[in-house]
Amino acid sequence: MAPIDFYHAPFSPASRGALLTARQLELDLNIKVLDLFKGEQLKPEFVALNPEHTVPTIVDDGYVLWESRAVCTYLAAQYGKGDWLYPHEPKQRARVDRALMFDMGTLSCRFDKYVMPVVFQGQKPDPEALKSLQEALRLLDNFLGGCKYCAALHITVADHRLAATVETIKHCKINIARYANLKAWLQRCKENMPGYHENEVGAKLFGEFAAARFKEVSSKN
Amino acid sequence: MIEYRYIKFCYFLAKKFVLDDENLLATPFSVARCVLLCLSDCKRSLSVFIRSVFCMSEPTMDFYHTPISAPSRAVQLTAAAVGVKLNIKVLDLLKGEQNTPEFLAINPQHCVPTLVDGDLKLWESRAICAYLVNQHGKDDSLYPKEPKTRAIVDRALYFDMGTLYKRFGDYVYPPMFKGAPVDPGMLTSLMEALGWLDGYLAGRDYIAGSSITIADHSLVASVSTFVASGVDVSGHANVSAWLGRCKKTMPGYDLNEQGAKGFGDMAKEKLGIK
Repeated sequence: MAPIDFYHAPFSPASRGALLTARQLELDLNIKVLDLFKGEQLKPEFVALNPEHTVPTIVDDGYVLWESRAVCTYLAAQYGKGDWLYPHEPKQRARVDRALMFDMGTLSCRFDKYVMPVVFQGQKPDPEALKSLQEALRLLDNFLGGCKYCAALHITVADHRLAATVETIKHCKINIARYANLKAWLQRCKENMPGYHENEVGAKLFGEFAAARFKEVSSKN
Repeated sequence: MIEYRYIKFCYFLAKKFVLDDENLLATPFSVARCVLLCLSDCKRSLSVFIRSVFCMSEPTMDFYHTPISAPSRAVQLTAAAVGVKLNIKVLDLLKGEQNTPEFLAINPQHCVPTLVDGDLKLWESRAICAYLVNQHGKDDSLYPKEPKTRAIVDRALYFDMGTLYKRFGDYVYPPMFKGAPVDPGMLTSLMEALGWLDGYLAGRDYIAGSSITIADHSLVASVSTFVASGVDVSGHANVSAWLGRCKKTMPGYDLNEQGAKGFGDMAKEKLGIK
């Protein structure tokens, strides 16, 4: 089997989430790093593959796919030995799907609303946006109460994707230590997910970049 | 092994009810059908079969929702396509009915739509659509199981959530709910996403090919809302044709159209569109 082309940006939580699934499945990957700051995702060859020019994008023997969560579930369905990463049973699967959608529509969305205007548009940090993000973290902490992982007693693709988001949030100096279940779950992910160090390194890169921009913005105001 | 256990279970049921109760509709033919069903997709087919043989009504599920909400309407389209009954419970979000202790006990995230099916309490509309097909669908046509085809549906669902509807929200929500001025840049961004959707629909009847899937339900709930809110999609020929096709072929589309108009009327007033 030829290696899967994996277009990737290490600081992107989306990219790192899908990479965690690929590492868990021990897939043979041909990682192609794109420097988004240099606009490498806008090159004609990449736009021809993915008109939305986003990462991660995979090419699996000619089959092209993007949207990190769709990549996670595809890899699990196509290459998983057994269905533990993405259960077949409808109710169990629904819990994984709900967690993936929570990550997209609530947690990641609120993180973006807080951080992106500062980092990419030089706006002042919005305290309401931070409160909204903290509410999302509280919700996740609540869901994790009495649960080893997000959607099951074992790791699923929802944990891969959420761990990428939460590690990034943590490295942006947003306090997650106050959320006991969340903190314990993240540690469990770190100890049990193959390749987790890549997630940490990427989150640290983003965190340092974000911290510099926050400092720059606050010195101007 | 799973097949053997279900065959044994079916035989037990058939023996008990066929031979012991002449009032039931079960017949030797039904027993044979039961065995055949067990050799294919066992759990779901067995459940559907038992209900049909013993004339049990389809399970009803509590469905908390708001009629003008696009995600709510996507679930209703899927439910109509699957043929399941929903026990509708309308929540007035403007009156804060999603924040009652009873509803928070079901869904601490207090969002709509929310589905209760037995012990499962499920929110996130696209997860609900997927669940309805996985659990109650007679086959997988609305959400194909083959990984590559399913991934196309999933990609479209996430595109709808994270790009298409998100950009619509960025355009209409600030004027609608925060009294902010209309930002034409946000409309440009939405039109870019509609352009991508137009590209994905080129040469196909529906987003994943020749048949309707749950991605079409989710996308059409969104796009019909855009149109009702005064967004002009006529420049995107494939989107316009697909929208017309969905309107003609999707069961329960009238309800979607009504809800979209309800949202659209509110949006147009705040956007200053007549």
